[in-house]
Amino acid sequence: MTDDQQTLAAGLRRRDPNLLDHLIEQHQQRLYRYLLFLTGDPALAEDLFQETWIRVLERGHQYNAKSKFESWLFAIARHLVIDVSRRKKMSSLDELNDPQSEQHYEPPDDRAISALQLLVTRESEQAVQLSLLKIPAYYREVLLLRFHEELGLEEIATVLATPLSTVKSRLYRGLEALKSALPEGAA
Amino acid sequence: MSENLHQRARQLIAQSLVEGLGRDDQSWLDAHLRECSDCSRETVRSQELVRSFRSLPVTVPRDLATRTQLRVRLRAEETAQPSPGSTFLWVITAASWALGILSAPFVWRIFAWVGAELSVPKLVLEVGFVLWWTVPALIAVAVVLYQRATSPARTW
Repeated sequence: MTDDQQTLAAGLRRRDPNLLDHLIEQHQQRLYRYLLFLTGDPALAEDLFQETWIRVLERGHQYNAKSKFESWLFAIARHLVIDVSRRKKMSSLDELNDPQSEQHYEPPDDRAISALQLLVTRESEQAVQLSLLKIPAYYREVLLLRFHEELGLEEIATVLATPLSTVKSRLYRGLEALKSALPEGAA
Repeated sequence: MSENLHQRARQLIAQSLVEGLGRDDQSWLDAHLRECSDCSRETVRSQELVRSFRSLPVTVPRDLATRTQLRVRLRAEETAQPSPGSTFLWVITAASWALGILSAPFVWRIFAWVGAELSVPKLVLEVGFVLWWTVPALIAVAVVLYQRATSPARTW
């Protein structure tokens, strides 16, 4: 537990407005990216982004400073995604919370893919971006947290509330799935 | 070269990306890659994939942070903690209730004595006793409502 984390926890307990403003600025890229790639829907990602920070405000006192703030933040966002997917019956995302369903993946529809495509700013990465949406959400999530957000394996296990062994196996399988989903010659 | 060796190499390539390799495994893999062009290509492909992943560009919508900050502040105002002034009022109210309950028998005796001295009917005494307890509470409620109606919106 670092001094920074303790200071952060104290600020969250006080609902310090300047601290929250700073955190929103600081983590906007990572959080939005995570939500966008998880949902494949820019509008939904925006809504969830705002909801996540509302939760941070309301549940700031629950941050115990034992884990990194990022892990706690991503865990909140993840729960919101799962809640929304249940309400909207988004089966592909509901799998995030149901390891038993790993065999029943349905790829997202083309609307989600083209919505994400609008946000792609460099063509060279398009293949990877679009292939990401073709693989199951539970693989997409761990790949994103590991290789994009560069979280450690233990941190990912914290976010997912999952054993480390599951995180590793999802990462290995996810890499394979992503390679298979890539068009020939890409990456 | 045995298929098992390639299989092991592929596993180590993936492991190097996911959790890193120990010195022995890394040495073995390096030696294998010097001799095997297929596995070398696989290494390059995997590393390129991860590199692409790390540089995935996403543009955050303009003003999203600002809009979120505003929304969070509004929510904070809606759910603001009670001010120290209202906490003090609650403490006073609780103390008043406790004292009231404890002193009720004595107050009733005073009411009964005054009633006996002035020959006041019992019903009037009982109504008076009830008003004795409720009127201050009603005044307190009126004061709180008045304060809420006239105080400016709370800010952080």
